[in-house]
Amino acid sequence: MSRQANESGILSARGVSKSFGGVAALHDVSFDVLPGEIHALVGENGAGKSTLVKIIAGALSPDAGEVLFKGDPFKPSDPGAAAEAGIGIVFQELPLIPDLTVAENVFFDRQPLTRVRTVARRRLRAECVEAFERFSLTGIDPEAQVRDLSVASRQLVAILKALAADPSLLVLDEATAALGPSEVTWLLEQVRAAAEAGVAVIYISHRLAEIADICQRLTVLRNGESVGSWRNGELESEELVRAILGRRLGQLYPGIPPTVKPKVMLETKGLRAGRRLRNLDLQVKEGEILGIAGLEGQGQLELILSLYGMLTSHGSIFVDGVEHRINSPRDALRAGIGLALVPEDRKTEGLLPTLTIRENLALPVLHRVSHLGYISSQKEAELVGPTIHRLNIGRQDPSQLAGDLSGGNQQKVVVGKFLISGARVLLLYDLTRGVDVGAKAEMFLTLNELAAEGYSMLFYSSDVTELVNVAHRIVVMFDGLVCADLLNDGSLDEEMIVAHMLNAADRTGVVGSLVR
Amino acid sequence: MKLAVPRRHRSIALAYLLLLVLVVVGRIVASGFLGVDHIDELIDEGALIGFVALGQGFVILAGGVDLSIPWVVTSAGILVTTFTGTNSSNMLWDVPLIIGLAAVVGLINGIGVVFLGVTPIIMTLGMSTVVEGALLLYTNGSAGGNVPHPAVFLATHKIGQVPVMGLAWLVLIVVVTFTLSCTPFGRRLYAVGLNRRVALFSGVDVKLVTCSVYVISSCAAAFAGIALAGYVGQSYLGMGDPYLFTSIAAVAIGGASILGGTGNYIGTVAGALTLSVLNALLPTLGFQPAVLDIVYGMVILVAVAAASLGGRARTD
Ligand SMILES: Nc1ncnc2c1ncn2[C@@H]1O[C@H](COP(=O)(O)OP(=O)(O)OP(=O)(O)O)[C@@H](O)[C@H]1O
Ligand SMILES: [Mg+2]
Repeated sequence: MSRQANESGILSARGVSKSFGGVAALHDVSFDVLPGEIHALVGENGAGKSTLVKIIAGALSPDAGEVLFKGDPFKPSDPGAAAEAGIGIVFQELPLIPDLTVAENVFFDRQPLTRVRTVARRRLRAECVEAFERFSLTGIDPEAQVRDLSVASRQLVAILKALAADPSLLVLDEATAALGPSEVTWLLEQVRAAAEAGVAVIYISHRLAEIADICQRLTVLRNGESVGSWRNGELESEELVRAILGRRLGQLYPGIPPTVKPKVMLETKGLRAGRRLRNLDLQVKEGEILGIAGLEGQGQLELILSLYGMLTSHGSIFVDGVEHRINSPRDALRAGIGLALVPEDRKTEGLLPTLTIRENLALPVLHRVSHLGYISSQKEAELVGPTIHRLNIGRQDPSQLAGDLSGGNQQKVVVGKFLISGARVLLLYDLTRGVDVGAKAEMFLTLNELAAEGYSMLFYSSDVTELVNVAHRIVVMFDGLVCADLLNDGSLDEEMIVAHMLNAADRTGVVGSLVR
Repeated sequence: MKLAVPRRHRSIALAYLLLLVLVVVGRIVASGFLGVDHIDELIDEGALIGFVALGQGFVILAGGVDLSIPWVVTSAGILVTTFTGTNSSNMLWDVPLIIGLAAVVGLINGIGVVFLGVTPIIMTLGMSTVVEGALLLYTNGSAGGNVPHPAVFLATHKIGQVPVMGLAWLVLIVVVTFTLSCTPFGRRLYAVGLNRRVALFSGVDVKLVTCSVYVISSCAAAFAGIALAGYVGQSYLGMGDPYLFTSIAAVAIGGASILGGTGNYIGTVAGALTLSVLNALLPTLGFQPAVLDIVYGMVILVAVAAASLGGRARTD
């Protein structure tokens, strides 16, 4: 490569390769990001996007090749050094410190100090408030502990942290995965504003609509190799999907199947839990996929958690007509309720990274794979194998450690656990967060198959488009109550649902958690 | 370069390597080291450590620690001498009774940790003091009596060339290893130790699992106490004292994370044997027993440091 070609790029990767224990995560990847350009990086789960980000950040060092930043070889010793050089990164795994406050996290490596070198609390707070104002972010208390924040709010804090450092290169690794529609709008506005001010942006997302909306150019990675770089709009969306997957994808949404039967499988009466869930009545029929919509923090998580016995609740829960007291996940599983919650931090909450895929998947069903008190590896393999195939998890090797999987594949393991748990009512909380198009399509197909088999599903997603294309019926939650119950008979669209979500907020004048 | 040993067993292999090195060093520097008699002694003392470390290992695996082990060991030793004395036939009733009492102690530990939310260190330390006090009341401050014959047989006799205690240990090794690696309980225990929230989400009865490890620990300590009384031929207050740090150190040397969730009993066995070899080796090299304490302390510190460093490396 001639030096000339790099002159214009603020960041260039030149033949970057990286493997983990013989498996190549990146092979000879090159691309350039220009100043003021929003450059999207897309690819399947496990394509190597986050690995590339970690190399840019200095968290990993490449086996071969180099990264040029502002024309010079760039080898930061750690993410702190990269931040100092002017690279702001929002990592996929949100390395925020839960015990510190929002302000302390935002200014973590640049705390304002007093003369005796202690943290100047008042100045810290003031600077944080200023940062919030500057990037027009509302609804988060700078003094709140990060551990008390919702996933979406944490994500916003991580983004603010990167923005507030005035980087010349901003890297967002799936920053919108946990955000609701209004927050995504906010982020896209900030990214555009930054780019207009000359900041280069590397934007990673599985939501292709966002990519089409915001980027100038995009680079596609597949199996660790660069497929190519294009200007936005140069590829039809079908071609783009083909570049990503290496094959054609019939359709992302398989259509809503006519599988709803009259029998009520799950019913709640006057369900209350915590401060956010007040008096909720809900019915889910056999074979029905019930979508749950709502602004962030309107009781959706509390609903799911109390149905799964993770949160003490009052009121009654009926499964298949029988009332159940559900005080623990064990009670829930016994009553036939399964949960696929994609928790805030998959790595630490969704699965056990140091155990194998097989061990993770079998954990809820150990009683079914054991014989005379010991675990029969044959039964275990028989039970787990089909699920690994069905969800196409990683290299389909059950003895691979779950922690070595890419983000999206880890998600599939979390989901896979409920598929074999044998429950009839499935609680799906942000199931497709961070999952690639191919896997999403497979997952929706699976949901349809499950609906046809008579499973009932409660489907929460922060992506409204998904709700409209997947659910039979959509309830909009606001302030712990159902504020709209909409039959998805073809007349619904995204705007109508968002309007319902916002209307409720306007009516009551509570816009606190809303990002404007 | 790739090691043939899978990643999760590497630290256990390391423990055996350490043991091997010590044995070789012992052979070179001390004459008579590892003579036939000597081997029996090493095995017996290793087994005693192995018994207490068995229980400690379960607790550590679940993410806790049991500091009440020494006084449970002492209590069991004293009870078996004062209660049973030389009347061997009583053993049949007394041993289950003693182990049952220990189980109650463990259950209280477990209930305190699980239901009252007391941290394991405080809970088991408090319980240890309670047991100590109760024992002092019971004995009036002076222990005595004779060790019943079956305990002596267990601790000092041989069948052919093989010490009985070594055989008993072998049986326990098989049972514990099987339990940890092949049963639902074992699998759930690892899950709880790795991340109790994930375990809970997966329908594991986290409270039951956590409670049971404390019961197992106390029972193992009581068994060790009975064997110890047989081994030293008497009982006295404080006889269990050395077994607090040895139990933790054996687990740590054996490659288990002191923070829970990893390791197995095969590793702990290497840890116990290593300590027993060190025990024998240091005096022959002219070191005072106090040096051994320093070694224990260092081992535990290094293990904790390694565990937290390893934990950090993982999350990067
Ligand atoms: N520390 C590691 N050890 C072993 N393999 C790893 C490690 N980190 C990543 N990998 C592997 O490298 C490949 C690329 O992973 P990476 O996280 O970069 O994917 P990704 O494109 O970000 O995927 P996703 O969209 O799911 O986040 C995957 O096959 C993954 O299993
Ligand atoms: Mg990633």
